[in-house]
Amino acid sequence: MKAADFPLPDTEWEGTRGFWEAAAREQLAIPRCAACARFQWYPRERCRACGESELPWTVVSGHGTLFSWAVVRRALVPAFADKLPYVTGLVALAEDAAVRVVTNLVDCAPEALRAELPVRVVFRPLVFPNVTRRVIAPMFTPIA
Amino acid sequence: MTTASADWGSASEIDDLAGAVAIAGVGEADHTQASGRTAHAIAAQAVERALADAGLAPRDVDGILFSGGIGDAFDARAFHAHFGTSHELWESPRGGGMVWAATAPATVAEALRSGKLRHVLNVFSVSWATQRPQMVGGPGQFHAEERYKASLEVPFGWFPQPVYFATIARRHMIEFGTQPEQLGAIAVTCRRHANLHPGAVMREKKLSLADYLARPMLVDPLRVEDCCLISDGGGAYLMTTPERARDLRRPVVLVAGVGEGRSATGLYWAQQREFTSTPQVFSAPAAFAMADVTPRDVDVLALYDPFTIVALMQIEDMGFCKKGEGGAFVEGDALAFDGGRLPYNTHGGLLSHAYVLGISHVIEIVRQLRGEAAAQVRDAEIAVYGGYTGHLASTLVLRRA
Repeated sequence: MKAADFPLPDTEWEGTRGFWEAAAREQLAIPRCAACARFQWYPRERCRACGESELPWTVVSGHGTLFSWAVVRRALVPAFADKLPYVTGLVALAEDAAVRVVTNLVDCAPEALRAELPVRVVFRPLVFPNVTRRVIAPMFTPIA
Repeated sequence: MTTASADWGSASEIDDLAGAVAIAGVGEADHTQASGRTAHAIAAQAVERALADAGLAPRDVDGILFSGGIGDAFDARAFHAHFGTSHELWESPRGGGMVWAATAPATVAEALRSGKLRHVLNVFSVSWATQRPQMVGGPGQFHAEERYKASLEVPFGWFPQPVYFATIARRHMIEFGTQPEQLGAIAVTCRRHANLHPGAVMREKKLSLADYLARPMLVDPLRVEDCCLISDGGGAYLMTTPERARDLRRPVVLVAGVGEGRSATGLYWAQQREFTSTPQVFSAPAAFAMADVTPRDVDVLALYDPFTIVALMQIEDMGFCKKGEGGAFVEGDALAFDGGRLPYNTHGGLLSHAYVLGISHVIEIVRQLRGEAAAQVRDAEIAVYGGYTGHLASTLVLRRA
């Protein structure tokens, strides 16, 4: 990670490049075992279940449910100060609820959130002060 | 805890200590907010006080444990530089605070039993309050640099620790109906205990449950009062055999059991299958079995408490109540030193005593078993420390000799 770009991700890093390449195409992708078809999250070199090393990034529906969330109301990290309050949390994917994607909940008042709320992915740029680079990221919003 | 749900982590193999280790001296540095002191100077003060407590001289110490994971540790070289000694001094980085404040006795048990070592110090100190303006070396830095976190968590502001644990607290509330007043009861009890403790950073600051509930959210559902302090401070304890301890000046405190557990998902809390549990599920039963005690036998409990919710989950996971019933268990004065059902963090813990990462928790329970604590639990015989460090938990059972 280039410190000057903090807190943007290093989209070129091999470990998560497939995630960020898919996001740039406005798709959500998760590694899936070529042998046993289980999703692996976070990415691993080998399938936790069967040991297979071929784990291609696989596009998923982008639907899921809200597993849990936090409403950040005071700046813990200066880069996020202009976003307060913001909602960050975990979405359990429709394809496999054991896959929890860390994300932001957008276009929704924090008070309207509830457990297991159906959500869908939307793609938004990560924008931070004093950082010129932009990265498109998967965020989630309640299904109306 | 059913077998079917236990495959998200495991217990470490730890040989039965079989009565090999006693704690014969304890010492704390001054615990403060930013003080300008170095971590070495803080550790040296704690060591001097631990040696004075035990009635030993620096040259009597032949082993020292410190935390290898945190910079500026008080190792053998620092010990010699401070005391002007040059004798042979075994050292290990597998000590210090956090989970290692509990496991250090297991690390040296065989060496003490065999006579290879006679008097071993475990030391931990931090100057994080002083370092805070530079934002270096503190608890968030490691996480910001871990690559999966930097790529998949930090860009969304799921960082640093208060955000993780607010998310965990929310899920605990969702699954079990845990209430803010119940988390508040933990914070308020710790503050009351700190108000009684001469060395506590928050000694002069009162906190009622009404105060707690009126405080604004930091990271909803957590308030500042749910979160640990950032402090300068440290501590040390001296281990020897029970036989040698009986010849020293302090009442003998025996190490009865040690356990350690780990989560299979490591530091990726987001992916831990049992999202509202800690590896105390694996650690505590092993330590209690080694000590031949049950949770009902525990007179005083000290838990590594970076956040109220971490204490609540450990209370459940160690078997003091059923999973999900921790909220009701801790309500009101249940954790108070004077009449509570489970006297807890009687020095005030990381929330209100000082953020010295568990070393003072062990020192406090030693003092409880000696009968010399500030908030003394009547006739305490069995005391337990639960350590927690992300993917690890540990358990230390101490017994009054």
